Parts: sequence; C-alpha cells; structure tokens
Amino acid sequence: MAGKPGRKFQLNEKQLGYAMVAPALVLILLVVIWPIMLSGWNSLFDYRLNDPTKSERIMTESLNLEEYADNRYLVEQGVNELSEAYPEGEETFNETWTVVQNHHEELVAEDAMASSYQEVNSMLNDYEPITDDNLRIQSIDGSWGSDFEAAMDEQIEAVTAVQQQADGDTAVEIGYLAAQLENLQGSVLSSNFVGLQNYADYLLDGRTWTALTNTTFFTIVSVGAELIIGLGVALLINRTFKGRGIVRASVLVPWAIPTAVAAMMWSYLFDGQSGVVAHYMAAVGLISDPGALLTTASGSMFSIIFADVWKTTPYMALLLLAGLQTIPNTQYEAAEVDGAGRVQKFFFVTLPLLKSAILVALLFRTLDAFRVFDLIYVLTGGGPANATESISVFAYKALFEQQNFGAGSALSVIVFVCVAIISFIFVKLLGSDLFPERAKK
Amino acid sequence: MLKNQAGIRFYIFLAIFVFLVMFPFIWIFLTSLKPQNELTSFAWFTSNATLESYASAITTRPLFRYMLNSFVVSGLTTVLSLLIASFTAYAVTRLPIRGKTLILGLVLASSMFPPIAILSPIFNFVTDTGLRNSYIGLVIPYITISLPLAIWILATFFQKIPWELEESAKLDGATPFQTYRQIILPLATPGIFTTAILVFVAAWNEYLFALAINTADAWRTIPVGISFYQSEYTVPWGDISAATVIVTIPIVILVLIFQRRIVSGLTSGSVKE
Repeated sequence: MAGKPGRKFQLNEKQLGYAMVAPALVLILLVVIWPIMLSGWNSLFDYRLNDPTKSERIMTESLNLEEYADNRYLVEQGVNELSEAYPEGEETFNETWTVVQNHHEELVAEDAMASSYQEVNSMLNDYEPITDDNLRIQSIDGSWGSDFEAAMDEQIEAVTAVQQQADGDTAVEIGYLAAQLENLQGSVLSSNFVGLQNYADYLLDGRTWTALTNTTFFTIVSVGAELIIGLGVALLINRTFKGRGIVRASVLVPWAIPTAVAAMMWSYLFDGQSGVVAHYMAAVGLISDPGALLTTASGSMFSIIFADVWKTTPYMALLLLAGLQTIPNTQYEAAEVDGAGRVQKFFFVTLPLLKSAILVALLFRTLDAFRVFDLIYVLTGGGPANATESISVFAYKALFEQQNFGAGSALSVIVFVCVAIISFIFVKLLGSDLFPERAKK
Repeated sequence: MLKNQAGIRFYIFLAIFVFLVMFPFIWIFLTSLKPQNELTSFAWFTSNATLESYASAITTRPLFRYMLNSFVVSGLTTVLSLLIASFTAYAVTRLPIRGKTLILGLVLASSMFPPIAILSPIFNFVTDTGLRNSYIGLVIPYITISLPLAIWILATFFQKIPWELEESAKLDGATPFQTYRQIILPLATPGIFTTAILVFVAAWNEYLFALAINTADAWRTIPVGISFYQSEYTVPWGDISAATVIVTIPIVILVLIFQRRIVSGLTSGSVKE
C-alpha cells in the first residue's frame, strides 16, 4: 500500500485513513468527552454561579489575588484619605493599615506568591483583564488564611466603632472603608470541595426519586405505546396502495417539526379553557372537566405521553415498515406451505426477522425518551407540583434557575449514568447487530 | 399474510390515521385565522376570517429574526459536520485502518449522550470565550449532536457504493484521496444530501442548548422563540398559532419535496439490506 516511488509526498491508504478520522475524533473528544469529565469534576464542588465566594472550584484554601490586590489598593486609599478627613480616627486607620501590611509581608515572604502578586498588580494597573485562573487563584498554605480573616474581623470592628462616632458624609466614607476591608477578607477562598456530598444530598432527596420515577414511567409507557401502535400501522400499510406519498408526508411532518413547537401546539389543544382536545375529551367523559388535563398530576403525565406518542409513532412506524420490507416474501410462502396461519406467521416469521430492527428502534427511542426535556419543559414545566418533572428538567432547573452548577452537575452525571446503563443493556441484547457489516471485518 | 390489494376498509383506516396525525396542524391553522374574540370557541370554521393574528405574531416578537437565526445556525452546523463526517465515514468504510469498531462505537456512544450532561461545561466555555448570543456559540454544541448522526448515516451510504469503481481508479494510478474526491464523493452525493437534510432538521429542532446559551431575544432560535410567546400572565393563542403556521410551512415544503430521501436516511441506520 506504500506510495509509489517517484511520486511527490503522498499519504498511503492507512495514513490517509487516520488523517481522515482525526478531525472527528478530536472534535468528539473536545465537545463530548471532555465536557462530561468536567461535569463529573464540577459535581464534586459546592459550585454556584450566583455566589461570588463559590463561583470557582477550589480544592485547597486559596487567595483570589485579583480581589486581594484590588481591595488592598482601595483600603490604602481609604486609610490615607480618611486620616486627613477625620483626624479623630487616624490612629485606628493607621493601625488597620499596619495590620494589613504585616499580613501582606508575611504573604509575599514566599517568592512564588510575591512574583504572582507583582504580575497581577501590574496587570491591574494597566487595566488588563486577568483571564488566567492559574495566576488569579493562588493556593495558600498554613494558617495565613484564617489568621488574616480573624485579623480583618478585628479591624472591621474597630473601623465600625469609629464610624459610629463620626457623622454625615464622613461616616459614609468610613462605612466604605469597612466594606473594602470585608471585600479584602473575602478574597480568601476556603475550599468548596465537597466530594460526593452533592450525590448524597440528591440521592436522599425525594424530588430526585420522583423525577427518576417520572422519567422511567414516561419512557416505558410512551415507547411501549409507540412500538405497539407503530408496529400495527407498519403492518397495515406494508402493501401497495394509492396515495403512499401523502401518507408518508403526513407521517413525516410531526417528526420534522421542533418538539418545542409541537409542545406549544399541544399546550393549546389541552388547555382547560380554549383547548379543543380537552373540550372533546371532557364531552365524551374521558376526563371529569376540561381543566383536568393540565392541572392534575395524572392528567399532565397523560398529556405529555399523548403528545410524545403523536409526535413519534409515525417515525417508529416508518422504521418498522422499512424493516418489514426487507423480509422476503418467500419466507411467508414457506410458512404457508407448512400450514401456518396469520398469527403464526406474525410470531414465527415477522417478529424474529424484525427483531434487530425493533431493538435498534427501541434503543434510540428509549434513550431519546429518557433524555426528554423540551416537551415537558414547554408543555407543563414539570408541574403541577413536580408531578411531571423529568430528571433532565430537574437538572436544568438546578443548573440554570438556581445557578447551582455543582449540584446540577451531580444530577446531570446521574442522567448520564442512567443512559449509560440503558445503552449497555441494549448493546448486550443487540450485540454486533448494531454495527453495520463493515465494522466486523 | 399480506394481501396486496387494498380494500375500502383499508382506505378508511388510512384516512382516519392521516386525519389524526394532521389534526393538530389543521386545528392550529383554523385557529390562526380566527379573530381574537373567537379563540375560545370550539367552532371549526370562523365566518370572520382575519389575518390579525399573523400581523400580531410578526410584530410582537421578531419571528423572522428567529427564523434567520435558526437558518444560519443549522446551515453552519450542517456544512461543518458533513465536511468532517464525510472524511471519517470514508476512512471507516473504505480504508484499511485499525480500530474501526472502536471508532464507530465512540461515535455511537456520543450520539447517546444526554445533552444535559455536557450542558454546563459547554455553557462555561461559551461564556468564557464571549460566544454567548452568537451563532458560533450554538454551532459548537450542535456538533455534539450532528457529527455522530452524520458519520453514522454517511457510513451506511458509503458502504453501498460498489468497490469495483474504486479498484479500477486505483489501477489507473489514482491516489487514495483522489479516489475519495473524484470517485466516491460524486457517487455519494445523494447520500450526502440526505444526511444534510437530517442533520439540518436535528439542528433546527434543538432546544436545550439554544435555551441556555442564546438568551438575548435577537439571538433566539425558532423553538426557543416560539416557547417564549407566552408570558406569565397571558397566553396569546392567536399569535402562537399564527407563528406556528409560519414556521411549519417551510418544514412541510421540505418534507413534501424530499420525503423519499428523508425516509431512506432515517431507515438506513436501522435496517440491514
């Protein structure tokens, strides 16, 4: 296979092959594998976007140098200005600054910390943003952090005592100094590594189990209904008839429209006041009153499953129909010769030959249903009272509505593990049937 | 068991099936023509058909902007993932490399990933790089969905191309890459086109990433935009049904034109022939 001699540089087939798969593999590593590992890492921290002291993942006690340098400068300014503006407090202010300085000297006694501090400080002076977290967040050893925090507590108290004696604008200014001292104190970040605590919390939380139960129930019922109805439809339309095109197109439209749009349509059709489906269902006596569909737990779960079955059964029927069409007629003829009836032909010819098509369709549908998000988020929002909340919806709410990235990541890892288990079971069942012929060579 | 002639009962069943499947669309279309005060009535047809809901749907929200956003994001995703996927699919089906099962397994596994599991790191990345509320910020996560899909379907299509043409190209002294570009690609065009439609539809319909990443109204895509028509206090069903009709029409046209291709693409991975 080597390149022919006399040619200029060229790749042989093998090299070209590896070169051609490389971009896809690199992308998959970067946008799929790496993020899931990060999710796992994040889930070990009490990591919240809306809380400044927890917005980083800190393994050991650390110092946010950017905050520290910035607030140290502000405290210095404050002390100098206030010493002139309010001479009565000068002694306290100077004392405060001395304490800050003493701790600072202790901090920069370490060469590595000193040079990092210099760098951050000069970047701040040039108004450069500090994007390098390795520079911005420095871990600190020993008791410096707790000593510093205790010292700052004392100084804040002293400054506040002075503030109470002053009045007017001066008091306000002194209040600012106290606030800056607090910010300076806040630049010490204690570790928010919590290990498996997030998992423990969620696994003991009833809402997690409700969400898992809801998701499992939704998955089993909707995929089951889709399989049975889809198989029935596929068996019925597996023949030549006029108007195939219309049937095919009408079957494809629900598949092609966005789930969120379908969910909006159904939320109108199921609406208690103006929903036509709710209206007719109440009229026929299927539900007690039109409002029951989206306001009761069972009604909402039914609505979601109904909408999902509507959207996905046609797709299922299509997949199974394609499988049916690969069954050669000779098989049925042979069964007929052996005296098989309709039912026997279905169970002994159709089903066994359709097995791998059914399993593949089930695998993809089950995983899709287990990950359900848009349909529930748009149609019921997980309500009423979390009765229809799926595990993905729960994780999304923890991540983005509570901005709790640590705990939310734990939930997303739980979803991932469930999906991995389901895939593993199916892949075991399917074996090599899943892979196209080529891969077996 | 298959009777090949279709009787009248069969056609009645078919009509009911098609009607049930299409009913939501029919009802939404009829609603979109009703004036405001008839929205809660259950009459099928209105005698005062009006386009006021349509006017309202495109003025209260930037519906055409949503469509443009969806179009650009889905288009970019499709082009990018097909380019990369066609290389991989060719190498996996036609070239003598090791670890094909492993590669396909990885591709399949990543198509099974729950998007929620990678949402927060991707969100952090997109935020840190300043790509929130941009097209690229969505194209990056969409690769996770579209690339495995495209590789999987394309590999099936490439597999069906006869080996003889390739052998003769090789005998004529073509390099492997020339064979790919000049023999395989032209023959695979229908398959690539089919894959493109499926990838485009998948990107067009994506909701979770679009919801979390592009939060500014001007950058919302269709699915997210439509779901934000309802406010906390009112649900403007007239506007929603008109907007739904507007965004569904391109899909219906796409499906009508390409239905055969779509079906062949959807079923290619699941059925062995």
